[in-house]
Amino acid sequence: MALFLYLHFPALQLDHLQQSAENSQHLAIALVDQQHQLLQLNNAALTAGLKLQMGLASAAALCPELQLLPYQPEQQAKVLKSVAQQLYQLSGDIALDLPSGLILRLDGMLRLYDGLQSYWQMLSKQLNALTYRYQFSCGATPYAAKCLAYQQANLITADNASLLAALHASPLEATELTEPLQQQMARLGIHTLGQLLALPPSELARRFDSQLLSYLGRLRGDYYHPLEYLQPEPGFSRYLELLYDISDSTVLTKPLAKLLQQLEQQLSRANCQCFQLLLTLFFRDNPQLQLSIGSAQGEYKAAAWLQLCQLQLQNLPLPEPVYGLQLDVNHFAGQQRPTEALFEQQHARMSALQLLSLLQARLGRSAVSGLTLQNQHLPEQATQRSLPLTKDYVEKGQAGPPALALRPAFLLPQPQPLTEPVTINQGPERLCPDSWQLNGQRDYYIGRNQQGQWLWLFRNARQQWFVHGWFS
Amino acid sequence: MSALLDQLTRRQLLWHGDSQQLAYQAVASGYPELDQQLAGGLPATGLIDIQTDAGIGELRLLLPYLQQQQHHSQRLLVFIAPPAELSADMLAGAGLDLSQLLIITPTQQPATAPKNNQKQNNQQQKALWAAEQCLQSGCCATVLIWPAAMSLAQARRLQLAAEQGAASMVLFRRPCQSLSLPVNLSFSLQPDQQGLQLTVLKRKGSWPAAPFLVDMQRRWPALCLTDPTGEPMRRAG
Repeated sequence: MALFLYLHFPALQLDHLQQSAENSQHLAIALVDQQHQLLQLNNAALTAGLKLQMGLASAAALCPELQLLPYQPEQQAKVLKSVAQQLYQLSGDIALDLPSGLILRLDGMLRLYDGLQSYWQMLSKQLNALTYRYQFSCGATPYAAKCLAYQQANLITADNASLLAALHASPLEATELTEPLQQQMARLGIHTLGQLLALPPSELARRFDSQLLSYLGRLRGDYYHPLEYLQPEPGFSRYLELLYDISDSTVLTKPLAKLLQQLEQQLSRANCQCFQLLLTLFFRDNPQLQLSIGSAQGEYKAAAWLQLCQLQLQNLPLPEPVYGLQLDVNHFAGQQRPTEALFEQQHARMSALQLLSLLQARLGRSAVSGLTLQNQHLPEQATQRSLPLTKDYVEKGQAGPPALALRPAFLLPQPQPLTEPVTINQGPERLCPDSWQLNGQRDYYIGRNQQGQWLWLFRNARQQWFVHGWFS
Repeated sequence: MSALLDQLTRRQLLWHGDSQQLAYQAVASGYPELDQQLAGGLPATGLIDIQTDAGIGELRLLLPYLQQQQHHSQRLLVFIAPPAELSADMLAGAGLDLSQLLIITPTQQPATAPKNNQKQNNQQQKALWAAEQCLQSGCCATVLIWPAAMSLAQARRLQLAAEQGAASMVLFRRPCQSLSLPVNLSFSLQPDQQGLQLTVLKRKGSWPAAPFLVDMQRRWPALCLTDPTGEPMRRAG
């Protein structure tokens, strides 16, 4: 026999909003729909005596300082999806039931977890960690489980008889039947599901439309109920709407830390790390701003990523307050630990690549570079700034070009005219630019000026003297 | 020696004026007279303060030391805000591994362009921040920096970071009359025809010695005046 578990989250969007702002617990907050009915309430609002489906006027009369937020189904769908993603590690078959439910198929899982109790223990631990309010129930079919979960039956059992008894005692309000249909039933004296199920289907088919029959058929398990089970998505994408606009980029790290924490959970479960984050900041008037934060070594720890993000945010002037954050990771890679010497006395706090990403995050990518020696005879071409920590020649298994030792340590970007008396110590060494153009030739000398500084000089074809660098 | 003196010495309440214990581990500098005068060479960790003019051979003096530091621990060499473009030829010629070398040039971001003074300050701040990160990280052997100015507190902080990461840091400064910084070794350099005149200003755990000459004729024959009566050639630009 198939067994299903239904999880119903009565206030998913509101709980998600509250999670991002801890200090709003004492505020009464409610979500309202287009018809100005209260749809979701937080605990403070519930203690103030507010009820669901209440109108705005009575709600305001009961609780004058009530904060209202619009209900956004697409936001809630995103949150529901992320919940499903996080439960996916524990349970294989999860189907979304929009707007606020998850259907979990259990029969496969029970063999893995060796019984319902141990399975529920694992699952409830994960659910409690999510801090969203939830109601749950088992059932023989998805609709049966859903109906019981709506009544907060909270049944965790595989016992068919007790599930059936609970189902038969269910009021019709907990079912999927439409409002007019429920009224019609009430007028007929049918108040519980048990009464409805006792009627022969052929009689029902004569009086009511096919919708009711198909619902009852699926509820009993007579009809096939197709479910679209969740497939895990590669990558990570979360959006966080802030409860209030943030104009200071340092305050932004607080909500960002929460997103990074979620990322760390997902990465560590998959035993992965990532090399790049895309952080999108949403503004009300300005176009959104996308930051790419990279780590050369790859990280999964939230603390390490937060440090890199902080460094990048420090330099960032915000054009106006931010109302939302989105964090995307497109590519996960397997975790690799660098090998370290066993008997090393001092333990390096971070690797060279980690240091590099730290420096690049604060100073910008162009501020950190390496140095390579090119096989060129002109001094300004022999030295090239390169990407840091790259091994050009070692990896290709060749020796680099031979170095000319008698070259100055520092080269001036532009040769400067010589303005002081010098003592020529060595030279000339004639260097010509490409194709041996004779008018571009330079005769290089090593000279020492009165202060004892060793200069690298040249004389061009027009007998003008320049300083090109100094031997340090 | 009396039993009392012996006991006091053992409890480190008494010490001899002539015993000089180095406060740091020394690395051979590659110049025998320098090693002899500094009891082993330059410090392997901590700050080294060099007061010198540019271009008289201050980097050449350090090249064997840098090569050893880098080679010994397979860690990075970091150049922070060098005064001009570094030449790969000279560094590779001295045996340095260019792939284990970083150059950091903090630049002003174009988005915010404050006043000139503030801008320099900002760059200086960034350079010092980068230096501290490199020293602390434990993956850099030596950091070389050309600071415009350095305060006592900054030097102290960098010294702590250097001890934490077991790294050394070389400060190249103009000769100045400021207070001495809390460094492991501080010396000033003057040009000389055969090399460099070195005056030790401060050495942790020992007494300063008299100025002495570091002979560079063997390593850098082309950069020494062999014939002191060389005729200067006067040129105008």
